[in-house]
Amino acid sequence: MNQVTYGKVTRDILRPLFKTSAAYFAILGLCAAGVGLLGFCWYVQLTQGLGVAGYAPPVFWGVYITTFVFWIGIGHAGTLISAILFLFRSKWRTGVYRASEAMTIFAVMTAGLFPALHVGRAWNAYWLFPYPNQRELWQNFKSPLMWDVFAVSTYFSVSTIFFYIGLIPDIAAVRDKTSGLINKVYGAMALGWRGTDRQWRHYMAAYGFFAAFCTPLVLSVHSVVSWDFAMAQTMGWHSTLFPPYFVAGAIFSGCAMVITLLMPLTLIFKWDDYINVWHFESLAKMCLLTGGILTYAYGCEYFIAWYSDNPYEWGIFHFRAVGEDYAWVFYMMVFCNCLAPLIWWFKKMRTNYTVLFIVSIIINIGMWFERYNIIASSLAHQFDPNAWTYYAPTWVEIGILIGSFGWFGLWFTLFIRVMPAVAIAEIKELVRPPLKKDEVAA
Amino acid sequence: MSNLNRRDFLKVLGVTSTSTVVACDPPASPVTRTLTPIENVLPYVVQPEQIVPGLPTWFATQCNECDKACGVLARNREGRVVKLEGNPDHPVNSGSLCAQGLAGIQATYSPDRFAAPQGAASWEEAIAKVAGAVKGKKVAWLGKHRTGSLAALVGQLMDATGGTAVMWEPLGEHGLQAATKAVFGIDGVPRFDPTGSHTIVSFGYELLGSQGTPAQYKAWADTRDPKQGGFVSRTVSVGARVGSTAAVADAHLAAAPGTETDVAMALAKLVAAKRGYSGPAAALLAGVDPAAVASAAGLTVERLEEVAGWIAAHPSTIVPGGPATSASATALATAVLVLNEVAGNVGKSLTFEGAPNTAGFGTWADAKALLDDCAAGKVDVLFVDGLDPVFSMPADAGVADALGKVGLVVHFADEPNDSITSEALVLPPGSTLESWGDAEAHAGVHTLQQAAMNPLHSTRPVGDVILAVAKAAGLVTAPEVAEEVEQAVAAEGEEAAPAALARPGLDSPHYLAYLKGWWQAVVWDKAGRPGDFQTFWTDSLQRGGFWTEAPAPEASFQLTSAPAASPEIGGSGDKTLLVWPHPFLGDGRHANRPWAQEVPEPLSSNTWGTWVEVNSKTAESMGVKRDDTVKLTTAAGSLECGVFINPSIREDTVALVLGNGKKSGGRYASYGANAMGVLGLSVDEGGAFRFVGTKASLSKVEGAPAKNKSIRYLGSLTNEDRGVNYVVSLEDYNDPEAAHGAHGIIAMHHPPVDQRLIDRGLHDMYPEPNHPTYRFAMAVDLNRCTGCGACSTACFSENNIPVVGPDEVRKSRHMGWLRLGRYWQGDSEFPDVRFQPNMCQQCSHAPCEGVCPVLATYHNLDGLNAMIYNRCVGTRYCANNCPYSSRRFNYHSYKWPESFNLMLNPEVVTREMGVMEKCTFCVQRIREVKDVYRDNRYNGSGGPTVAPDAALKKLTACAQACPADAITFGNANDPEAEVSKLFEDKRTYKMLGELNTKPGVRYLARINHVPSMLHHGGGDHGGDHGDGGHGGGGEHGDAKHDSKDASGHDGGATHDGDAAH
Repeated sequence: MNQVTYGKVTRDILRPLFKTSAAYFAILGLCAAGVGLLGFCWYVQLTQGLGVAGYAPPVFWGVYITTFVFWIGIGHAGTLISAILFLFRSKWRTGVYRASEAMTIFAVMTAGLFPALHVGRAWNAYWLFPYPNQRELWQNFKSPLMWDVFAVSTYFSVSTIFFYIGLIPDIAAVRDKTSGLINKVYGAMALGWRGTDRQWRHYMAAYGFFAAFCTPLVLSVHSVVSWDFAMAQTMGWHSTLFPPYFVAGAIFSGCAMVITLLMPLTLIFKWDDYINVWHFESLAKMCLLTGGILTYAYGCEYFIAWYSDNPYEWGIFHFRAVGEDYAWVFYMMVFCNCLAPLIWWFKKMRTNYTVLFIVSIIINIGMWFERYNIIASSLAHQFDPNAWTYYAPTWVEIGILIGSFGWFGLWFTLFIRVMPAVAIAEIKELVRPPLKKDEVAA
Repeated sequence: MSNLNRRDFLKVLGVTSTSTVVACDPPASPVTRTLTPIENVLPYVVQPEQIVPGLPTWFATQCNECDKACGVLARNREGRVVKLEGNPDHPVNSGSLCAQGLAGIQATYSPDRFAAPQGAASWEEAIAKVAGAVKGKKVAWLGKHRTGSLAALVGQLMDATGGTAVMWEPLGEHGLQAATKAVFGIDGVPRFDPTGSHTIVSFGYELLGSQGTPAQYKAWADTRDPKQGGFVSRTVSVGARVGSTAAVADAHLAAAPGTETDVAMALAKLVAAKRGYSGPAAALLAGVDPAAVASAAGLTVERLEEVAGWIAAHPSTIVPGGPATSASATALATAVLVLNEVAGNVGKSLTFEGAPNTAGFGTWADAKALLDDCAAGKVDVLFVDGLDPVFSMPADAGVADALGKVGLVVHFADEPNDSITSEALVLPPGSTLESWGDAEAHAGVHTLQQAAMNPLHSTRPVGDVILAVAKAAGLVTAPEVAEEVEQAVAAEGEEAAPAALARPGLDSPHYLAYLKGWWQAVVWDKAGRPGDFQTFWTDSLQRGGFWTEAPAPEASFQLTSAPAASPEIGGSGDKTLLVWPHPFLGDGRHANRPWAQEVPEPLSSNTWGTWVEVNSKTAESMGVKRDDTVKLTTAAGSLECGVFINPSIREDTVALVLGNGKKSGGRYASYGANAMGVLGLSVDEGGAFRFVGTKASLSKVEGAPAKNKSIRYLGSLTNEDRGVNYVVSLEDYNDPEAAHGAHGIIAMHHPPVDQRLIDRGLHDMYPEPNHPTYRFAMAVDLNRCTGCGACSTACFSENNIPVVGPDEVRKSRHMGWLRLGRYWQGDSEFPDVRFQPNMCQQCSHAPCEGVCPVLATYHNLDGLNAMIYNRCVGTRYCANNCPYSSRRFNYHSYKWPESFNLMLNPEVVTREMGVMEKCTFCVQRIREVKDVYRDNRYNGSGGPTVAPDAALKKLTACAQACPADAITFGNANDPEAEVSKLFEDKRTYKMLGELNTKPGVRYLARINHVPSMLHHGGGDHGGDHGDGGHGGGGEHGDAKHDSKDASGHDGGATHDGDAAH
C-alpha cells in the first residue's frame, strides 16, 4: 500500500456515492423487477391460497422454509467476520467486513419475509409475537418456531446496531464530503462524530462490547433455526447433530456469498488496494474449514442413521441417496458442498478470481439444495408409507425464490450507493501514516 | 362533540355500522378466497312445528342407492337432512350404512339436479304429453329394480296399457338367479349367511364389497372374532383378481379366468369324497378330474385338497362369482350351488329365508329384447326409470339408436345421464329423502321410505306421475282384489273380504294414498292385521318399516346335468379382460356423487377416474409406472385410462374398473373412460352379461390428458416393513404363553419402549395429562375391518370435509380426516392385504401440540387433541411433526357448489383457507352426549352424570357407520367400557408405539391363519403360504426366551443378568 494515502482511501471508497452510471440503474431496475415478481407471486398466493405452491401433504414445508434457512445462513458470515474476526484481531477482515455486514442485515431482512410468505394466514402472522392483547392470546414457548422468532429478531436488531456503530466514523466522512440537505442527513446519522480522542475511546469500547455481544448470537441463531428441525420428530430432522452442522453450513454459505458479492465490487470500483486476493483466499480458507465440517456432518448423519438401526431414520437416508425422487438433489448437494470446494486446496485455484467466483456460486447453490434436501425428502417419506408423496415447487414458489434475490439485491445495490461499502476508518488504520519529507528521507 | 350524549353516540354508531355492513356486500367472485363470509341470517317468522332450532329430528326412511333397501335414519336439521345413518332396527343393515348409502345424501343436494321437467314447460304439460302419448300406444318400461308398492303400480300401469316392463339391474345377480332356478327349481336367489361358518369361500362375489349387505359384513366379522364363537374363520377367494373379499382372505387361489366353474366342480368332488357325500349331486361329479382342473387353472391339486378339507371339516359359506367376475356367471353359480349342496350348506349358510326379492327381475337378455323391440319400432312410449342404458350397455347393443326409434322416451331421472337426449322428456322424481315409497328388497322385509324433508325443486315422484298420467289418459282401473282375498271370498263368502284389503288401483288420488292402501292390503295383512291400520302405519313409519319371517321355499337339489363348459374367451390380445364394478360408483349411477369419487377406492386407493389393474411384472415389462396412462384395446374398441399396479392380479389378466366415464352425467362424472366401451354384448345361457368375455392388449400412452390418469391417494403399496401395522398368527393368539406380555403379543415382540426405561421412570419427559372424567379413546379391530370405506365417507358427511377435486387429490391434498390405510404385502400368489383406518390418534403426548407456536392445538381434559381453527396461523409445523400424517391443511377456501352447501352439518364449522384441520373424534357428537349427562346434575333426574359406555360405543361417525363393527369408541377412564377391555386384548398394539406418543387410538391386529410368529419375520408375514425364511427365526426365538425369563424375574435384572453371562 505504498501509494495509498488517507485522501486516496476516502476518494476511492466514496467514489460510488458520488459517481454513478447507467449500469448501476440497470442493476437496480433488475432488482426492483425481482421485487415486483415477488409481490405478484405473493398476491396470487394471498388471494388463491397456499395451494398455488406445490405442497403435497405431508410435505407441508417446501421452498419457502428452504429459502428462509438459506438466507438466514447467508446472514451468518457478516457478523462472524465483523465480530468474531474483530475479536481475534484478524487483519484481513478490515476490507471485507462492511459489505459482509450489510449482506448479513439484508439477508436477514430477506429471510424475515419468508415466515409471512410461508404461513397459511399471512394476515395473522403477527400472532407469533407475544404482546398483551385483548383476545388473551398467548404463545407457546415450547415451540421451536417461537424460539426462532426471538433468535432471528434478536440477531437482526443486534447486528443492525453493530453495523450502525461501525458505520458512524464513515458516515461522518461522507458528511464531510457533502453539502446541502444530504449533508444534513448524513450529519444527523453521524451522531455528531468529530473523531476526537475521547470519541474514539468510547467508540472502540462500544464496538468491542457489541463485537463480544454478537459473537454468541452468530452461533445461537442458526442453532435455533436448526432446532425447527432437530426438535421435530420427523426422521432426517430429529438429530442432535443439527446445531453445529447448521452453523458450519451457514458460515460456509455466508463466506461463499461474501466472495460472490465482493468480487464484482472490487473489480468494478477498482478497490484492489483494499479488497484483493488475500481477502478472497482467506474467505476460501474459511469455506474449506466449514465445508470440511459440513462434509463430516453429512457422513456422520449417515453413520448414525445406519448405526441406530432405526428403520425410519435409515429409510430416509436411504431414500435421499438412492430414492427416485430426490437423489438428484442429494448428489447436487454433495457435489456443490463437499466436492467442488476441494479445488481450493490448491493455492493456485483459491487465488484465481474466476475459480473463486464460480466455486462460490456453486457453494451457494449447493447450500440451497442442502436445505431443500433436508426439508422435502424427510417430509415426503414420513413414518407411514401410505402417506408418502412427492413434492416439487411451482412457478409461484420459484418466482418468490427469484424475487427474494431481487429484494436482497435491491437493498444491497442501494447500500453501495448511499454508504461506504468498505470501512474507511479501519482501512486508514492499516495505511502507513503520512510522513514528513525529512522522515521520508530518513 | 362535547355535547354528544351516550344515546346519540349509540344512534350514530348504529347508523354508521349499518351502512358499513350494507356497503360490504361482497361481489360474486370466482376467486376461491373468502376472508369474512357475510351471510344473511333469517329467523323463522312462523316457526314450524316439530322444529327446535339446534336440535335434529330423525326420520326413519330407506336407502335407494342400490336395490337392497337398507333402513336409514335421516338427521334433519332446520328442515334439511344433513346426514344419513343406518337404522339400528333394520335387519339388512342393523344400524350401519355402506359408503354408497352414506353418499346417497348427495343425490338430494346435487348441483346438477333437474329443477323442473325437461322437454315440457310445466308438469301439467308434461303429464298431458305423456298421457296423450300412452293412449292406445305400445308402452314399455325399462327401469331399475323396484319392489314393493311401486313395482305393483308399474305393473298396473303396464296392465292398463298392455305394455311390458323390464326391471333390470346391469349388475344384478342374473347368473345366480338362473342357476337357482336350474339347481333348486326356485325363482329367486338364496341369501348367504356366514354366521357360524369356519370357512368362507368366494368365487368373486363381493360378499364384503359391493354385493354384500352390511348385515353380511357383520356376520363375516363375527366369524373372525375369537370372542364370538371361539374360532377364527378362514376366508378363501378364487379368482384372477384380488377384489375386496379376496383382499381380506386368508388364502387366495388365483385361478385362470374362465376356469372358476371347473375349480368349483373340482372342489365339490374333493369335498364330496371327504364328507362321504352321496346325494343327488354326486352323479354330476363323476367326470370331474381335480388334477386336470388344477393344472388348467394354474393351481395345485394339493391346494384344492387343502381348501376342500377346510370346507368339509366345518360349516362353511360358499358364494358364487359376482356379476362381473367370470366368463359365465350362470355356469359358475350353478357349480357353486353344487358345491354348496355337497358341502351341506343348503338350508344353513345358503338359505331362502329373507332372501333377496327378485320378483320381476329382468336379465340382460330381457333388457336387450326390449331394446330390440324399440329398435324395430315396436315401442311408442318408453319409460326409463333410474337407468342409463346407453352408458350401461356396450356400444354394439345399439341402445342410442334403439331409443331414437321410440316415439317418446320418458326418463325418470334427477340428474343428467348419457341416455337423455334433447327430444326426451325428463321427469325428475325427486330424491329418496324428498319422496315417499317402500321396498321389499328381501323376503319379509318391508322398508318404508318416509319423506324426510321438503323437495328442493319442482319434482314429482314416479308413483305420482304414473297416477296422474293414468288419470289424464283415462287408464283408471278399479282397485284390484288380492288373490288371497278372492280365494277367501270363494271359500267363505263376501264377509271374509274386508274392503280394507282391496289393493289400491290407478284411481288413487296420489301416490302416498296408494302406498298406504298397498300397505294396508299387503303388509298389514301379512302382519296378521294387528290393531287398527293407522296405528300399524304409524308404528311402521317410526320403526322404518315392518319385517317378519316370510315363508321360504323348500330347496331341493334337482340339477341333472353338469354346468355348461366355460366358453372360450375370444378376441385378440394377450390378456384376458375382466371388468369389475367400482364399489362406490356401482354401475355408474353414483358417478356424480363427489364423495363416491373422492373417497379412495379401498384397494387401489385411486380416485376420480378409470384405471386398469395390471400385474407388477406386466407393468415392468411394459415400462409402465403408477402415474402412467395405458391404452387398452379389444375387438370392441379401445380406451385410455390409468393403471393400478399390484403383484396379485394374474399376469394373463387385466381388470378394468366400471363406473366412470359418463359423457353427460354431471360435473363430477366426467372423469375416466367407460369400461363398457371395450366390451361387446354377449350374454350367457342364463341371460347374464359376460363381463369376462374378451381378450385385450395394453400399450403405454405418452402425453395422455390428465383427465385419463387415475389418481392414487396412498403412497407406498406396502408397509415397507415398518411398525405401522401388524398381524398376529392364530397359533400365537391361542398360545397361552403369548398372553403373558403385559402389552400383548405385538408389544412382546416389538417392544415400543424399553422396559428398563419405564421401570426407572425415564421414558417420559412430561407427566401424563390430567383426564379427570373422560379419556376418549378408540379401538379399531383390524380383524373385523373389511376395508369397505364407509368410515371415510361417514367422516366426510359428519364433518363438512370439502371435496377438493382431482387436481388437488393429485397433489395429495385430500382432505379426508380418516385415511383408510392399505398395505399390500406378500407376493403374487398369496397377497396379504391389510386395511387400517388411520385417523388422528389423539395422543396424550402429541407431537403436534408442542410445536404449534400459537397454541392452536392443545390437549384437553377429555383426552382430545383439540384444534382451534380460529387461532391457527398456518405454520403447518404440527402436520410435519405428526408421525401418523393425519393432519390436513386448507390450501384453498374449498367451496361447496350451490345446494351442496345446504347439506353442511350446522354443528361443524367450515374451515377457511390457511387453516389446519384434522379428526376431532367428532367432538360435536361428544359434546352433545356429554351435555345430556351433565344436565343430570341439575335436572334432578338422578341419572348418571357421566356418559355410560352404551351412549359412547358408536358415537363417532366412523364407528356409527362401520358395517363390520370394527370401530369401538368410548371412555378409557372407565375400566368397564368396551374400549378399555379391547385395549387389554392381547393383540392390541399402538401404531408406531415406539414413539411413545400414547395414542388414544389402538388397533387390534388382524389374526392370520399363518404359522406362529416365532417362525416368521415379525410383522412381515405373507398370507397363508407359510413363507418364512426372513432370517428372523432365531431372533424371535430369543425374544420369547427372554420374556419367559422376565416373567420369573425383574425385567431389567434379567437383561443385565444375561449380559453378565
